[in-house]
Amino acid sequence: MNRQTWLTPANLTSSGRPSLLPDEIERRLLSSVDIDLESSSTPVLKSGLLSLTSHRLIWIDNKASSAFSIHLSSVVKVFPLKKNLFHSPRVTVQVSGGQRSSDVVAVIVIRGKNNDVDEFYGKLVKVWRERFWEITEERESARIDNGGGEGTSRPWAPPVVGVTGILRKEQETWENTDKSLQDSFQDLNALMSKAKEMVSLAERMRQTLLSGSNPQNTGNDEEMGSKQEMQDWLLSVGIASPVTRESAGALYHQQLSRELADFVRVPLESSGGMKNLIDIYCQYNRARGTELISPDDLLRACALWEKFDVPVMLRKFESGVMVIQSKTHSDDEVFSRISDLAVKTYALKKGISPSDAAITLEIAPALAKEQLLAAESKGILCRDISPEGFRFYINLFKDIDVQDMYRIQEHSQLHLWDSATSSMWQ
Amino acid sequence: MRRKPGISGLKSAAAARDQFRAVGENVARVKADLMKEQLATFRSQLEDFARKHKNDIKKNPTFRSQFHEMCAKVGVDPLASNKGFWAELLGIGDFYYELGVQIVDICMLTRSDNGGLISLHNLRLLVCQKHKTGRESVTEDDCLRAISKLKILGSGFEVISVGKKKFVRSVPTELNKDHNEILELAQIQSYVTVEQVERKLSWSSGRATDALKTLLEEGLSMIDNGHVDGISRHWFPCVSTSSAVVEE
Repeated sequence: MNRQTWLTPANLTSSGRPSLLPDEIERRLLSSVDIDLESSSTPVLKSGLLSLTSHRLIWIDNKASSAFSIHLSSVVKVFPLKKNLFHSPRVTVQVSGGQRSSDVVAVIVIRGKNNDVDEFYGKLVKVWRERFWEITEERESARIDNGGGEGTSRPWAPPVVGVTGILRKEQETWENTDKSLQDSFQDLNALMSKAKEMVSLAERMRQTLLSGSNPQNTGNDEEMGSKQEMQDWLLSVGIASPVTRESAGALYHQQLSRELADFVRVPLESSGGMKNLIDIYCQYNRARGTELISPDDLLRACALWEKFDVPVMLRKFESGVMVIQSKTHSDDEVFSRISDLAVKTYALKKGISPSDAAITLEIAPALAKEQLLAAESKGILCRDISPEGFRFYINLFKDIDVQDMYRIQEHSQLHLWDSATSSMWQ
Repeated sequence: MRRKPGISGLKSAAAARDQFRAVGENVARVKADLMKEQLATFRSQLEDFARKHKNDIKKNPTFRSQFHEMCAKVGVDPLASNKGFWAELLGIGDFYYELGVQIVDICMLTRSDNGGLISLHNLRLLVCQKHKTGRESVTEDDCLRAISKLKILGSGFEVISVGKKKFVRSVPTELNKDHNEILELAQIQSYVTVEQVERKLSWSSGRATDALKTLLEEGLSMIDNGHVDGISRHWFPCVSTSSAVVEE
């Protein structure tokens, strides 16, 4: 059995997310999935994540080190969903082997308990029937033919112009307010009482989560699975899911965390290795367009980075400002650049302001100020607060010997300063 | 249960423990199943609600804020995550997260004018201008909710009250009570003089000059020394009324 013919190795990004083709969109994500062949009983791919995209089915192993995909165009048939009391639910598909070999029947075994199998199956059939990859192929060839982009297609709404338009808008507003709000509030009340039930149930679940795992059951897959489930449920109802030391929060946040690590690489490079968290929030959401993430989502995803092996980290300064910085960015390197700047002649005379540092270090002024403050707490700089604002000077106190205060050693920074500033009085 | 002596006693005790554990696990499993069921019912109920009222929430700000209040009472946060049912079925997430992004934009743009402090009223006006193409109206309540979510990103986004008005701070400046009182005073004429501050708030001259100096350094005020009477006026762009909002 040569799995190379029907499974294509798929590329992963440096953070363990699948590299998507142009226009490919991820539709669903399942956890704990095996892929078998109907003809044999041993699984080909065991216990990984399965991502259904508009173009492919991608299986990623749990350590995010390798991935395989089946392009949906090679799926000849999707068999009806089989659910069994004794087995995990299975989705069976027939994959064409192309001209070289015969067709192969692959079985996708969905083991994870928190996966909504019916929904996935429905989505798989829908996506497979949609054949989205053909549309993108057409678009590609059309683009090449037309020799240039035609711009994205947007739904065209009839322009609302003139007096008729205004009147129509007014009427709409009236209708909306006039509509029996009674009904709406009644429905709202009913919904909220149900939500209240959910919350009390969820609170009890949360207590179990926070009390930690049962020592007798540690290492038991089932126990871990149910904890993961509970995290996901709490998240869908709208209750903050606790990230404990063992669990990594909801599956959604784990994937988001990896996605963000990828996204953030390019902006970081252009801003000197460090970027404000709020700037990333705006940039990422703008890039997303729809289905934006909440600030909570962003924070959780960034907090998860320390559990994964990604090249970025979240850092909190004393003032409360939070930044994302690449791990290769070292503070020591920045400090040495700052001290080099601080011993230049004009800096010895007038000191450096945050904007000077921002220009030299090529980072945002707000972050430059943070770095200068950090350098100060390390003892490299001294601050000077004057009507002109904050300025920083190189710390000369280190060079002053308490026993012999007026002695200036040769080749010390104190000497440099002395020669730079004494020239001012000439 | 009576304790039996000897090995048989130990064996039955062990057996009893096992039985209890099995029951415990069973109960936990039942709880999980129950939760799953409840979740499914809740989701379908929310779907029904969404089908009927999704538009109401989008178009009617009163209904929207009522919705939020009730969620808060129950203990759920519909804006907690994009992945929650609320965002998925009611589409309420995108509205607020997008609003958050717009608020950050506006604060950045106006920062050089007002030093990072903008009145909630002006902020809302600017947001509505941006939203002109959209059909939904944005209320101050909406802005407040979006900002409360932005707060956790740690860049100093906060809402402070100065007298009866609310201001949105977008830089991590510390404003103490003295500064607050000066800002309140400034709302009358958009500017204050040292003498006015001393007189109306009964402060010593040192205290007044100190506070005004800090506000100047932080960029929240601008000093005007050009009057014939020689008295400096401290102007506060952030407290100016909507006439200061620039129409594009």
